Amino acid sequence: MTLTVEALSGPQPGPDPSSPPHARGATWRRLRQDKAAATGMVIITLMVLVAVFAPLLTALEGQDTTTQHPELVDSASGGTPLGSLGGVSAGHWLGVEPQTGRDLFARLVYGARISLGVALGATALQVLIGVSVGIAAGLGGRFLDSALSRLTDLTLAFPSVLFAIGLMAIVPGSVPRPLVLAVVIALLGWGATARLARGQTLSLRTRDYVAAAKLSGAPPLRVARREILPGLVTPVITYAALLVPANMIAEAGLSFLGVGVRPPTPSWGQMLSAGTTWFRPDVMYVLVPGGALFLTLLAFTLLADGVRRTLDPRNTEVAA
Amino acid sequence: MRRISVVSAALALVLAGTAACSSSSGHSSSGGSGTAAAFDPKTCQGGTLEVLNQDSISKLDPARIYTSGGGNIPSLLFRTLTTRNREPGQDGTKPAPDLATDLGTPSDNAQTWTYHLKDGIFFEDGTPITSADIKYGIERSFAPELPGGAPYLRDWLVNAANYQGPYKDPDGIAAIETPDPKTIIFHLRKPEGDFPLLATATQFAPVPKAKDTGVDYDKHPISSGPYMVASYEKNKTLDLVRNPHWSAATDPLRYACPDKIDVTSGLDPAVINQRIATGTGQDANAVTTDTTIGPDQLAQLNSNPALAKRVAHGEFPATTYIAFDPKVKPFDDIRVREAISYAIDRTTAVNAAGGTAVAGASTTFLPPQKALGYQPYDYFPAGPTGNAAKAKELLAQAGYPNGLTVTLAHQSDDANNFGPKLATAVQDALKAAGITVNLDPIDDNSYTDVTGKPSTEPGMSLQYWGADWPSGAPFLIPIFDGREIITSGGNFNLAQLNDPSVNAEIDAINAITDPAQAQARWGALDAKLGQQALTVPLFYEKDVSLFGKNVKDAVPDGWRGQYDLARVSVK
Repeated sequence: MTLTVEALSGPQPGPDPSSPPHARGATWRRLRQDKAAATGMVIITLMVLVAVFAPLLTALEGQDTTTQHPELVDSASGGTPLGSLGGVSAGHWLGVEPQTGRDLFARLVYGARISLGVALGATALQVLIGVSVGIAAGLGGRFLDSALSRLTDLTLAFPSVLFAIGLMAIVPGSVPRPLVLAVVIALLGWGATARLARGQTLSLRTRDYVAAAKLSGAPPLRVARREILPGLVTPVITYAALLVPANMIAEAGLSFLGVGVRPPTPSWGQMLSAGTTWFRPDVMYVLVPGGALFLTLLAFTLLADGVRRTLDPRNTEVAA
Repeated sequence: MRRISVVSAALALVLAGTAACSSSSGHSSSGGSGTAAAFDPKTCQGGTLEVLNQDSISKLDPARIYTSGGGNIPSLLFRTLTTRNREPGQDGTKPAPDLATDLGTPSDNAQTWTYHLKDGIFFEDGTPITSADIKYGIERSFAPELPGGAPYLRDWLVNAANYQGPYKDPDGIAAIETPDPKTIIFHLRKPEGDFPLLATATQFAPVPKAKDTGVDYDKHPISSGPYMVASYEKNKTLDLVRNPHWSAATDPLRYACPDKIDVTSGLDPAVINQRIATGTGQDANAVTTDTTIGPDQLAQLNSNPALAKRVAHGEFPATTYIAFDPKVKPFDDIRVREAISYAIDRTTAVNAAGGTAVAGASTTFLPPQKALGYQPYDYFPAGPTGNAAKAKELLAQAGYPNGLTVTLAHQSDDANNFGPKLATAVQDALKAAGITVNLDPIDDNSYTDVTGKPSTEPGMSLQYWGADWPSGAPFLIPIFDGREIITSGGNFNLAQLNDPSVNAEIDAINAITDPAQAQARWGALDAKLGQQALTVPLFYEKDVSLFGKNVKDAVPDGWRGQYDLARVSVK
């Protein structure tokens, strides 16, 4: 859940990151020209579309996620799907799940909703908490700074997976599971963002224009919003792009361990977990969710790399 | 209170690993008995048997372990008054004399049971075994310091309910008499025809008072069986070597073929099956006592006849079912319970447990074993995949023409086969009948605490029940006897049925000492209870497990459904 961000977390040398080096349009153009990033974006767009239109896609296929098809599995051999490639057919585009005979395509596209939704939601929360804490620490007095910094250190030092398992276990079943997952992942993973934001804030607060704003009597909140926040956008977006795949892995991991979303709701991590005993009799059951997860993670990583390359002020001259 | 332990005990017995688990009356022994014809127990000695298990051996003290028929591994160490006769199939559901010369002499309407001990029986240190050692072993099992054993004796013996064990109460239990070193007499407060079946439990193993170290006895219990402990690392490994003072002449039932038996526990089921199937090196001598075959191996059986010959098929009497609390709406209406019985899809339920190889669809509460008194009935015929139309009709009659929403409690994990997999299968089956099922997963460890307390009991829950011994009594009494309702927790009579006529019939059958006669009555009682739709039986258990390439005589006994470690050979 915690990523290597040390390179970004300290005060950055080089040109002033707060001054917009180039227009938004230019950034976008350069990102699109970056082949790897563009590939990542295309895949992510596809995945998001799949997730958004999951009901439409499954309706098109004529299946749903929960109906069991015992006639499509061989009960005597433990429930292995009948037919080749895990029961791929015109009616079941990616075959069926072993034991239950539930449609794999429907579970995959609905699973995308959980995987992407939880990962994006958790990332948004992490950025929100991390940036708020970081700016408060960076702008606040010595006492507030050290209190918030120790809190940040504490979250970073936490054995987050263990703690997440514990948290997931005690939350009552009535709370929507994907929401709980996103909140738990975010609560345990905002530390690095906060450190990054604090470092940036510390370097920005000494700038003349910040001092000028303070001298002109601007209240701290406005200083934070108008003078500091714009300078944080670049490093935070770059880091957030790296957080998404990390959060996706965290969600898949928790679902794999059986503390994620609850059956019969599908999620990729859960499918992978169930697939472990099936990898020899029905390898499709592992390849389908595994492939989807791999592709999405790869896409986010490519995009994150592209974003970093495009926005990193150190690369400006080189790229231009 | 005594039932609390019954509950956990019955579960522990089947689920936990050391001893208990599985098995009775196999329908076929064809799978594992290929080598049995040529097998000669006299020439089978030698080699090291490897036991690969999932469940850790957390206790070895005979007072503390809960077994069906004395267990598999524990039975290598502990001889008991009687023991299971280790025959395959239905013949194997009967007890046989072990330390005693016969199955006991009942008198006073089966309220007094008298046993005489064999000659030439010794502990591992050469001390002769006396009736006082058996009495002392039983008394220890009452000590609060040594919890975990079967609770029946506390209920059955005269004035023993509050006995606190020999450490606090050295006078002992007056209801057990030892007039001479070879005789032991039990006085029961009610007729119990099943006493010789209970006397197979490890609580009936002798314990030498001089060697008793209280809770530390667990580290090295004194053996009376063919093997003794060489080394024991709790929850990890147990290595057994031959007991030089055991004599085959007094113990025709245990062949004791391997010279050494090494148990490794805490392994993943897929790993166990893979290692036994592949059989590399020492794994050729490997067996398991708690792991059924997985889909990986099942898929190979057709194309791999050599592997198919290394599969043992047995059946431990156990039923997985839906339990209702008829005090909770809408389950107070029998038509709702009947509708659910009609709507259920037993095909998907069996698949959730691992398919027809390891589970069989069942419409009766008693599993299909003659020893339990099985009588077929199907009052609410659902067919293989459910009868939604009939269910809807009943729901309309009950006042739910537009369907209804109910909540189903289940274990949060699938390890015991009544977790999310089965719950989602039930959910999907009832959907067709217009019943929306919300799932309520409860942690495995607290499951019986929640369902076993009438104040917190869910209206509808998935349950499992296995037999403490192959008879209708331990199967029906805890579930349907009105005097077994425990409001403080540990309740298994989930329907909270307290029907005087049922209670009276249970008492009447308990007094019968002829098993055949008792079986017919238990079966009839089950068939009568089934009409009330207090449970929806889903499937019974089949025990299918692999054994290593070099393993011979791996024939499941009819009591536990597993092959017997006291009989297998690796020579």
